Amino acid sequence: MSYWIHILILVGIYLILAVSLNLALGYTGLLNLGHVAFFGLGAYTSVLLTDAGVHFIVAFLAAGLVASLFGLGLVLITRKLKGDYLALATLSFHFVIYSLLLNWVSLTRGPLGIAGIAKPSFFGFSITSNTAYLFFVSSIALITIVIIYKIVSSPFGRLLQATRDDELGLRVLGKNTTKLKAKAMMLSAFFAGIAGSLFAHYITYIEPNSFTLTEIILVLTIVIVGGLASIKGTLAATFIIIAIPELLRFVAIPSAIVGPSRQILYALILLMILLYRPRGLFGRIDLT
Amino acid sequence: MTFPFLQLLFNSLIIGSIYALVAVGFSLIYSTNRFMHFAHGASVVIAGYALFTFFHLLHLHLIISILLTLAITMSIGYLMHLCIYKPLQQRKSSTVILLISSIALLILAENLILLFYGADVKSIGLIPPRTGISIGDANITVLQIFLIVISVILLIFLYLFLRHTRLGRNLRAVADNKELAAIMGLNTSRLLAFSFVIGSLLAGIAGILIGLEQNLNPMMGTSLMIKGFSGAVIGGIFSVPGSILGSYIVGGAENFGTWYLPSGYKDAITFTLLFLFLLFKPAGLFGMEKGVKA
Amino acid sequence: MMLHVEQIYKNFGGITALDGCTLSIEKGRITALIGPNGSGKSTLFNIISRLLKEDSGKISFNGQDITTSDEVQVARQGISRTFQDVRLFRNLTIQQHLEIALSDEDEFLLKSLNKKTDHDQKIKEILHLVRLHKPLQTLATDLSYGQRKLLDLAIAMAKPHSLLMLDEPVAGINPQLRQEIKEILRTLHQQGETVLLIEHDMNFVMDLAGYIYVLDAGKVIAHGEPRKIQQNPNVLAAYLGE
Repeated sequence: MSYWIHILILVGIYLILAVSLNLALGYTGLLNLGHVAFFGLGAYTSVLLTDAGVHFIVAFLAAGLVASLFGLGLVLITRKLKGDYLALATLSFHFVIYSLLLNWVSLTRGPLGIAGIAKPSFFGFSITSNTAYLFFVSSIALITIVIIYKIVSSPFGRLLQATRDDELGLRVLGKNTTKLKAKAMMLSAFFAGIAGSLFAHYITYIEPNSFTLTEIILVLTIVIVGGLASIKGTLAATFIIIAIPELLRFVAIPSAIVGPSRQILYALILLMILLYRPRGLFGRIDLT
Repeated sequence: MTFPFLQLLFNSLIIGSIYALVAVGFSLIYSTNRFMHFAHGASVVIAGYALFTFFHLLHLHLIISILLTLAITMSIGYLMHLCIYKPLQQRKSSTVILLISSIALLILAENLILLFYGADVKSIGLIPPRTGISIGDANITVLQIFLIVISVILLIFLYLFLRHTRLGRNLRAVADNKELAAIMGLNTSRLLAFSFVIGSLLAGIAGILIGLEQNLNPMMGTSLMIKGFSGAVIGGIFSVPGSILGSYIVGGAENFGTWYLPSGYKDAITFTLLFLFLLFKPAGLFGMEKGVKA
Repeated sequence: MMLHVEQIYKNFGGITALDGCTLSIEKGRITALIGPNGSGKSTLFNIISRLLKEDSGKISFNGQDITTSDEVQVARQGISRTFQDVRLFRNLTIQQHLEIALSDEDEFLLKSLNKKTDHDQKIKEILHLVRLHKPLQTLATDLSYGQRKLLDLAIAMAKPHSLLMLDEPVAGINPQLRQEIKEILRTLHQQGETVLLIEHDMNFVMDLAGYIYVLDAGKVIAHGEPRKIQQNPNVLAAYLGE
């Protein structure tokens, strides 16, 4: 039972990460391969602030805001790029952040990582048990989904989708698409940042290697398997992608094999979906 | 300590040569197929481990091991094209889909190697005398000189092949304008496949040279790929000479940069350079504006 | 004078697209831009709507210099345009297209979260005018070519504007629909719209336009009322010499 609570907590965290990526990628058409950098920035921000004695709630929100600011920077400097060049630029953004986390040892302790991270406490509560943490994560995930759902079905969300479909066409209608993309990216990064905070205070140990290329593939797989611009799809896919590989644990295989097997499984699922069902489970639109 | 210019230059040339071999294959495939074949990095690692298997584990003769390794990398390059990319291209998938599928292939290959060979580093075990030539304060081993010479010869050979053979010209015609090349009667689909075979052969040679010179680890494909494509983008992704120049620039920036910064920032230097090029000169030094859709 | 274009030059890598082009668009009139392929019509359109920058020259729109504006700014100043290859938002519905075109302040996120835009009446009127009779929830990608052309026109009309620029509004569509679009444009003219259009179909242009500019090799070689243009020997030479 406690094992499944652990899995559900991870599902909640990845749900926030994936839904927020879908806001940028599926709804706005921003092929951001640097989403996990926001996750990492959020995790480190939150941990460093709480370690410095800042209240958890403040650190939690700061995690989102710091990621959001980086999102703004990223979208502004890459605004001229499209397609695979944008993908490449966002990917190199990811690697720059990763190198910073790894090398700014005085701040991040570098490859040693930061251990013994405090569990969140606020308003006199301290979330120490996993059951309580599951409740906390689920609430945040629910709020995130409701907010993102509200955003994408609003007139603003309509403009985001129009940006994705034909940016130039929208510009000649007098809409400033750079601003739209910046806002979408900031929102997307904000939620990735708070997901990072939730992750760090749950696992209680972070290191730069928690935020690597394989994590990007994982989140991207969730979004593509679920379908672009489909929140329902992301919801279903998060359960499928996070929970199913856990079944590997119940097969008697050595733990050294579990890690690579899981990555192999993700890569195969992603390839199969791209080849045979490019719109994912519930998607309506093609990735362009 | 005085500024060890010569040593840094040697190091830049050594690593630049390896990056250049990775970059030209990547650039060749990009210019004909018009998408970023990240799994090119996988071909490099697979070559390294194949050589390790044939030479170190099976004790085959070095030359035979090398030939088998090259045959395997070329076949794998061809199979990736045939089983994954070609169906996607036929469905007119966007470059982004192809890019994502290539990242998935890279992760797949690296983890398969991790599964079968484990995470510890492997050494081919062909250890030539470490004592090299000293020029002033700088050292370079015979193997390293060999590596640079082989790379340079190969790169010149590739350049001549693309310029002066019929096959090379056909490849360039496809790179220049696929539709027009098809109208002119060229078998474009075979040429696309062929660019994968040639590109993977180059990746295989890079993998072998790395395997001879350094230790192998399953995750080296990603970092080599990143360096390779950084070199290609900086130099101009459509241009073979450009990719070569870009790769030496990356090698140089890393080595000279780490004289001023902690060595951990090696990668950060490359990315910053790549990032700056993507922002201000996305077509690269030798490039055309085609890669950028404004 | 609504739009005045003066001495516009534009080169593309050594090839002259516009060679000192000068023209004026009068308010309330349908002005047509004709000329052989490659005469610079589309380039001029793109320069007026700021998708391209001229090498030199001046453009004023409603008395304001717009050469320093970008495409978003001139769109807000009141230029509405269509493209030769229809540009629609593939995954959006007819209604969403028109909502986007009609509203001008959607970018405020928080305000828009709870705002219900109510353009239903206006949308109905526009669709009635362009005679696009499809359910509002139809996706752009599910429309036929002719229907997409009509939706494109509807969007350009819905967007707040004072000048409507149409790039080949009847290219590639059947004679019946061509006739319908002609009538739509007539109605617009009666309502006082100012229209600038590029068109190859001579009959269409001669019937509809109040004033015509003929472009050849980036220069205006003739302008005037349709009847005068038809008799102009330069125009004939430009077309036949092609």
